[in-house]
Amino acid sequence: MNLTQETQNQTTTLHAQGRLDFEAAGHFQQELEKSVASAATDGNALLIDCGSLEYVSSAGLRVFLVAARAAKAANVPFAVYALTPAVKEVFDVSGFARIIDVLGDRAGALEKVGRHA
Amino acid sequence: MTVARTTVGASASSLAPLQSFLSDVWTAEHLPESDRFPFELALEEVFMNVVMHGSEGRTDVWTDVTLEHAADSVQMTIRDNGNPFDPLTLAPPDIGAAMQDRPVGGLGVHLIRTLMDEVTYRLEDGCNVLVMRKRLRID
Repeated sequence: MNLTQETQNQTTTLHAQGRLDFEAAGHFQQELEKSVASAATDGNALLIDCGSLEYVSSAGLRVFLVAARAAKAANVPFAVYALTPAVKEVFDVSGFARIIDVLGDRAGALEKVGRHA
Repeated sequence: MTVARTTVGASASSLAPLQSFLSDVWTAEHLPESDRFPFELALEEVFMNVVMHGSEGRTDVWTDVTLEHAADSVQMTIRDNGNPFDPLTLAPPDIGAAMQDRPVGGLGVHLIRTLMDEVTYRLEDGCNVLVMRKRLRID
């Protein structure tokens, strides 16, 4: 999987692309932990753009949970958006859609974390 | 009915070749893309359980995957000679629990049971045999 990060208007966005399987989960977790730490230092919100994330397994899901907890502990507003149907299904079935803020698009996610587009 | 089969050693490095196998069968059988995801997911969840829990202290564990394409369904059978374990005995996770109370594991089997139409387990000749079936969506 590929990750690219951009920061603007006090919002850090990680664009996740490809497959988040067992093999990719370790790298994803490292990157996400760094992003939570830098967002906390800079007072930024953290968004994950899942629009090009094609696949997620329980190993990948686990990273979202770890990141959401870390963000909460560090007072970093955190949301994910633009889930593809397969990824959305996994979030729904696992109940994660109830404990992590999942928004349909970027505008909704920005509003959720209290930022303006 | 078409049948395809592959066998790999139970190590994490075999996950990518297994997913390629699934993907190749899907293409060769002209199966709908929209039906592939539950099988990819189940394959990873079951196989990684064998790698991480079924092969503890052993290097002789293999996993054998069979895909059968019938008229309106696909059946995937995953057989391994790892430590005997019936994943269907696992209690479903509490998906209503708050974030801080959620265990970070235990979701894989729940996902499989929810996304597949039928999941059965049997212990056969000392091997774990998990059979999963899902009807294809009619477009």
